[in-house]
Amino acid sequence: MKVKVWGARGSVPAPGPETNRYGGNTSCVHVRLDDGSELVLDAGTGIRSLGLAMTTSAERIHILLTHLHMDHIQGLMFFAPLFQATTDVVIYGPASPEASLMDRIARYISAPLSPVEVRELPCQVSFRDAPDIEWQIGSASIRANSVAHRGPTLGYRITEGDTALAYIPDHEPALGAPLDALEDEWISGYALAKDASLLVHDSQYTDAEYPAHLGWGHSRITDTLAFARRVGAQRLALFHHDPMHEDDMLDEFVTDAAERWMRLGCDPGQIAIARERQPLEFPVATPS
Amino acid sequence: MAEAQKPLELILARNLLSSISTPAFLVDAEGTLVFFNEAAGAMVGRRFEETGALGPREWGETFGPFDASGQPIPWDRLPLTIALQHGRPMHSRMHIHSSNGELHEIEVSALPIVGTEGFRGAMAIFWPVAAEDGAAA
Repeated sequence: MKVKVWGARGSVPAPGPETNRYGGNTSCVHVRLDDGSELVLDAGTGIRSLGLAMTTSAERIHILLTHLHMDHIQGLMFFAPLFQATTDVVIYGPASPEASLMDRIARYISAPLSPVEVRELPCQVSFRDAPDIEWQIGSASIRANSVAHRGPTLGYRITEGDTALAYIPDHEPALGAPLDALEDEWISGYALAKDASLLVHDSQYTDAEYPAHLGWGHSRITDTLAFARRVGAQRLALFHHDPMHEDDMLDEFVTDAAERWMRLGCDPGQIAIARERQPLEFPVATPS
Repeated sequence: MAEAQKPLELILARNLLSSISTPAFLVDAEGTLVFFNEAAGAMVGRRFEETGALGPREWGETFGPFDASGQPIPWDRLPLTIALQHGRPMHSRMHIHSSNGELHEIEVSALPIVGTEGFRGAMAIFWPVAAEDGAAA
């Protein structure tokens, strides 16, 4: 599979000269499977540019929403394929006892927030609760699990052949208990990320920022690294950048993360940081 | 994929219980006692790290409880069991042996934990009945 970032920012778009290099658009990652299937992870504002760039021949586009906070759905109404009658779009998201996925999304795609209603979209669009068992999209198997964040929130694991992508953009696995004190089965997101080839994970806060945001549903860098090491991820991509984090700060952030990763006994070359319009690479398999 | 993981609702419940000083038990959907916190450990005289997870009837036999005459209360009449089996909250008074062997009266409130994907388990909090409360009851 090929993975490309179209939005790596968290919480709210942060455009401007200070964020040009890493980008200001909110969460959106495009995954093209080897069989040509098209997956879009989250529909933050980055999905607008993705939609304009898509030249897919795939009959169907699958959008996998982790949750319905605005920074993960705000771009949905600006995704060009939704306005093409020939496109079939399937949107997955977390189940809720309160209302269907379509009804919850329609609160955003409706007046007074939107000039267009869901039922007016010219494409073929359907909404599905993400199954609680593994399912198949094209050449990949997909797994969704609830993870620790505010409100119903999923993480996804996409497995194609020997390659596994774990996408957990909003996650606070160390809330209430340090990861070192927990057994594997008690760590939120563990099964999703276990031995992943590439883990795309929340790293919104520095350690200094975290105390003021405890319980907001995001990770400090120490916990991101601890989680990645604990699950045995081969490669980690830092994601969901705080809107206050400007490019120069993120340069230092990832450098510091790589040094700390090395001190944990891991290869610092396997720490990456998500950057808008840039691919995320999988580790190169070494011959045994 | 990794081995089966605890449902998020139980993970969050455990994190909550491990952070409070109210004695509390947590059982999964099968009735296995999967966690009790330090405050509960102090009350029953054993730490979770010592006992580990206990099967559905095992934890009832291990910790009691008992009626006022010291007779064991059947497992299926315990608040936690009712929350588990009938999916509704339950509150009652009972007695347990503390670590020094004395019989103490406690109040227990149990409630079911239901997630978006169904029944996940139940939790119970305990509170010692003060002497004057017990006399008035």
